Amino acid sequence: MKHYDCKYYLNTDVFKGKCKRDKNSINADDTACDHFEKAQKCKYCSNFTLTGEELGTCMNKYDAYPEMNAVTCNDFKAI
Amino acid sequence: MLEGLQTWILNYAKESRFMASLETDKIQIEEYLDIAERLEWLSKNKPRTFHDALQMVWIFHVAVLNEDAISGLSPGRLGQILYPFWKKDMDKGILTTEKTIELLECMRMKFTELDCFASMGVVGGVLSGNTFNNLCVGGLNKNGDSAANELEMLILESAMSCDTPQPTLSLLYDEKLPEEFLLKGIECTKIGTGYPAWINNRVAMEFLLNNYQKEGLQLEEVRAWSIGGCLETSPGSWMPLDVDGETWFIPGGSAPATSVGVHFISLPKVLEAVLFDGLDKRTGIRVYPVHGSKLDSYEEIWNVFKKYFSLTVEVLTLTNNIQHDIWGKISPSIINSMLKPDCLETGKDISNKGCRYNRTFNVEVCGGVNLANSLASIKKNVFDEKKLTLQELKAAIEANFGYVSALETGSYSLIEQVKTKNYTDWLKIHKLCLDAPKYGNDDKYVDTIFRDWQNWFSKMCENYRSLYDEPLYSCQISVSTHAPMGAVTLATSDGRLCGTTFADGSVSAYPGTDTNGPYALFNSATCYNHSLSQNSQLNMKIHPSVVRGREGSRKFLEMIKAYLRRGSFHVQFNIVDSRMLKDAQKNPENYRGLMVRVAGFTQYWVELGKQFRMK
Repeated sequence: MKHYDCKYYLNTDVFKGKCKRDKNSINADDTACDHFEKAQKCKYCSNFTLTGEELGTCMNKYDAYPEMNAVTCNDFKAI
Repeated sequence: MLEGLQTWILNYAKESRFMASLETDKIQIEEYLDIAERLEWLSKNKPRTFHDALQMVWIFHVAVLNEDAISGLSPGRLGQILYPFWKKDMDKGILTTEKTIELLECMRMKFTELDCFASMGVVGGVLSGNTFNNLCVGGLNKNGDSAANELEMLILESAMSCDTPQPTLSLLYDEKLPEEFLLKGIECTKIGTGYPAWINNRVAMEFLLNNYQKEGLQLEEVRAWSIGGCLETSPGSWMPLDVDGETWFIPGGSAPATSVGVHFISLPKVLEAVLFDGLDKRTGIRVYPVHGSKLDSYEEIWNVFKKYFSLTVEVLTLTNNIQHDIWGKISPSIINSMLKPDCLETGKDISNKGCRYNRTFNVEVCGGVNLANSLASIKKNVFDEKKLTLQELKAAIEANFGYVSALETGSYSLIEQVKTKNYTDWLKIHKLCLDAPKYGNDDKYVDTIFRDWQNWFSKMCENYRSLYDEPLYSCQISVSTHAPMGAVTLATSDGRLCGTTFADGSVSAYPGTDTNGPYALFNSATCYNHSLSQNSQLNMKIHPSVVRGREGSRKFLEMIKAYLRRGSFHVQFNIVDSRMLKDAQKNPENYRGLMVRVAGFTQYWVELGKQFRMK
């Protein structure tokens, strides 16, 4: 798993960010460490269905995409 | 909408508590929890303190930016808006000067983090990646006295200790401002950040009264004005603020965005079209109808120019009205409307003329000085002294005076242009064009042409009406357009070469042509009434040694006052050594923090386009 999929990743730009746990600068697509926890994203939610390349629906009602940040979503159900 | 805003604020509070849970450092935990508590409070209540109020300002700044893809959202006269909270906290002893500066520095970091998500042409070509958050200091209060205060002194201080591009600062100069405050502004200008820009408060007030009196703007209220974006004079209103039982009147914006309308007509390009009968010679596309004129007098050239320019304004007025009509219907700005008088009272949003003042559409141009210089060259060389024919001049323009186009060489520096092998064929004509009178030298020959253009331009804008059924007015800021517009324009009759950048701003001399000193430039710049237009823009470069020390500061301030007292609107400075800039071109990695002033904004030098860096 990569840093950009981790709950503790804070992106600075499209290339890099910081770890919220240890405050180190990290590259988005480097392999995550042992403290990895899945970020709350649509691709990790049971309500999300992929319908095309990088596109999908939420609960068959709303447009969504796999990498969409769902951290504030009340209907998020982790798979 | 309000409930959504509250939830949004509370999401950040939740995140702040989450960050606190990951922390081991006690001070950091306390800070995160403090942030969370503040956000939770502000989601439902009024600010209690200066820190609360500053946070509230930031919340709404980001909220409005989330609503629209906009740049130029300016915090306005923030030091005066926050002063009631700041004064109370300082009097109670719960805030210190040091803590204030720290918070203001954090604020500067937050504003500098902003970005504008729009097309490449807009963000790169027009904005140079800048977001134009203009914070104004100075000016007058409701009663007509100096509005400068101690918090604004600290805003200037924090801009020196944390010199980031945002927010940029504008000092609204008035004769009533205290000398100590003005010298603080000078101190900040001298460190080379390019801010504050110095703006003439009275000229702005005169412009606003001329244009908004019909909508009810009076003398007391016009004092509440501020700058939107880089330099757009915008009407404001005095709104009551209750802090601990005491009522203060703070200035806030009371109009829609004031940089909408007809954007950035390239004046030298219109003149080029006149010379070539409506064709864009670079692409071969017919842009304008054939004018069919023989162009056998200067007056005829000027008349055709006015005709082509008017046609451009007509088409672009329609385009922009359609654009804003669609925008207002599909994506109205609700939060922005909520913050502006009198939208809540009238129950109408900004796009439905809910604001107190609505005459806000303008016509923006660039390349005015190159236009004046080019017309002067044509008038003198072709018609007055008959040293060459118009055909010969046009041939020289098409041949780029014997130089390779800057677009081909990739070099935009005026001293690094590459000659072709037959450049001597064009040498005589090029010299005639270069030697023709140039704006910026207090030369009435060309300054009269410039003045005639200004007077005609400001008057003709009133023939066109905005979506709000109000007349347009003239606006003269180039932002970054003088580079890309120069890039697509052939050589010009003033001797400028194809592809090179125009003079920046609106009253800046073309580089290297103002040879009679700054006061001659001031005379040229003030050959017309600056209050006719929403703004004027003068960018000056000064060597650091000229303004060194306290004596240098005093002289610098006197020079600025001399210019503003002549009735000018604006001046800004780059305090730079050209050797440093040349080194920065070769070794940019050593100059990551170097900032320069372009037209109306400060930007990191390494983030500017090549044309600006070479200029």
